[in-house]
Amino acid sequence: MEVRGVEDLAIQVGADWPFILKGRENSRIEFDRIKEACKALVMPDTSLVVFGSLARGEFTDGSDIDWTLLVDGITIPQHLTVARQIAEELAKLESKPPGRTGTFGNMASSHSLIHCIGGEDDSNTNTTRRSLLLLEARPVGDDEAFNRVRNNILKRYLEEDLGLWRTSTVRKIPHFLLNDFARYWRTMAVDFADKQHDRFHEGFALRNIKLRLSRKLLYISGLLACFRCQLDFPDDQDRIAFFSRGNSVEVASYLRNLLDKTPLDMTAETLTRFADKRTAVVDLFGAYENFLGILSDKAKRKHLEDLTPDQLETDAVYADARGISHRFADAVKTIFLNSDNPIGDLTIRYGVF
Amino acid sequence: MRFIGYSTGAIALGDFSRALNLLGAYDFQAIELSALRIAEVEPLLSALGNLDLKRYKYISFHAPSAFREEEEEHLVGLLSKLPEAWPIVLHPDAIYRASRWTSLAPRLAIENMDRRKNTGRSVSELKHVFELLPQAKMCFDLGHARQVDPSMIGAYQLLKAYDERIVQLHVSEVDSLNRHDVISRAAEMAFSQIRQFVPKSAAVILEGRVLEKDIGREAEKVRFILDGNVQSEHAVEERQKVSAISVVRQ
Repeated sequence: MEVRGVEDLAIQVGADWPFILKGRENSRIEFDRIKEACKALVMPDTSLVVFGSLARGEFTDGSDIDWTLLVDGITIPQHLTVARQIAEELAKLESKPPGRTGTFGNMASSHSLIHCIGGEDDSNTNTTRRSLLLLEARPVGDDEAFNRVRNNILKRYLEEDLGLWRTSTVRKIPHFLLNDFARYWRTMAVDFADKQHDRFHEGFALRNIKLRLSRKLLYISGLLACFRCQLDFPDDQDRIAFFSRGNSVEVASYLRNLLDKTPLDMTAETLTRFADKRTAVVDLFGAYENFLGILSDKAKRKHLEDLTPDQLETDAVYADARGISHRFADAVKTIFLNSDNPIGDLTIRYGVF
Repeated sequence: MRFIGYSTGAIALGDFSRALNLLGAYDFQAIELSALRIAEVEPLLSALGNLDLKRYKYISFHAPSAFREEEEEHLVGLLSKLPEAWPIVLHPDAIYRASRWTSLAPRLAIENMDRRKNTGRSVSELKHVFELLPQAKMCFDLGHARQVDPSMIGAYQLLKAYDERIVQLHVSEVDSLNRHDVISRAAEMAFSQIRQFVPKSAAVILEGRVLEKDIGREAEKVRFILDGNVQSEHAVEERQKVSAISVVRQ
């Protein structure tokens, strides 16, 4: 049986992961609600884009809705009005609003997303939006602007990566893209500490667990998408031929299709195909299932949100969540930091230094 | 060798006789008779017997881009009088009821749309049209595809999904106001990126509004873009090198 995603993997290994399945179902329902509520609002050359657990198919009752009105065209004052109306419609759905950083819940212009990759103008917000647009985003309704912006971002990463097209480079890893995914992962980790500083530890425990699991999985899925460029082409000559400059559009389309998968599906498919580590793979998804179980439990989620740092050492719910994150980390280590499998080999070679 | 030629609408909008006269000075093998407004259909049909089209190895007919629902059945009846070998280019958003077009379906070439439209622009949007009219062919408009997604990934996906349906190309620059114009350097580079996926058997119809003196030059440009040569590829490569940024760990 070919494993195309986490649901196939559950069948193949005989696992019962109800919270993962429930997250998907919740996401479908919530997505349809938002689509219906906002269908008359989105204008030409814009897309309403959702991120976070909703885009990843891991939505729970306590999830907030991270969204942006992506503008790719002539900028007009009415875009702000539309963004406000979207916020109002989502409020009517009694959905939890986005966090307070200002990254979501407003407008984003395609210009900086496409043109400011690295350099002084690439702000934290821009990096976050761009990375998430590739790794965990879904358009609600008309997807034209969304696809256009995402494709053009991806093409920049690929076309400007000279090593990728060089015929003497046998291993094909899109370094520009991979380095930016790695940078974003480290940015999330550093921002975690910054939020801790700014918010006097408010919400620390929940953010900590998310960083250890869902944020890490996001990086893993980006890493794996980059590795697939190597792994999907076992024959050196086939790979070199595919990654030829004249074929750059097909290469971009290929990577886009990989990035269209949710992080869970991308990880399930790739690990099943390329890491002969069944126990570790089952442990990884089992830990993630338990993580979603905690997030789905309103009482536990609230408890983690309200924990103060001095309670962490003795708190049973946090200890449980931390134990889950350790199981997840152990499984990740077994797969990704062992050179006895192709994914581990590539991670050691490209994922750290 | 691809068949290449012009849409009469590009040469003389609404005046097919003048367009054919002007094009008669060139050695084009393909032509698209354009009746973009419904009022143009009957005069063009009436004149067909008197037009000198023998020189063209490929002839298509562009159906009106918009009409009222009550005109749809009558229009299908008029178009059915065209020679069966002529593909009929049709905008998917113009269709009210697909079942009215079923009898013409094998002759239809459904065109991918520009950004103005909210359907017919992508693989998923055209899928619905081809489900309703499974025998229909396709007119692949490179300019529209580039306008919708300048990365050309969308164009590539259309070509991969529907390459067996594609009987004709529309080639032109399509600007932000959806006007068909002569091909810019940027469009030339974009089109070149997907030329290897363009079916060689598809006829090429230029849609850009060209000056009379530029008719031959624009056609040569398009032939050059679609067939390519070493020099142009080298030029593209050089430009990309110049604009490229350094990448960590090459």
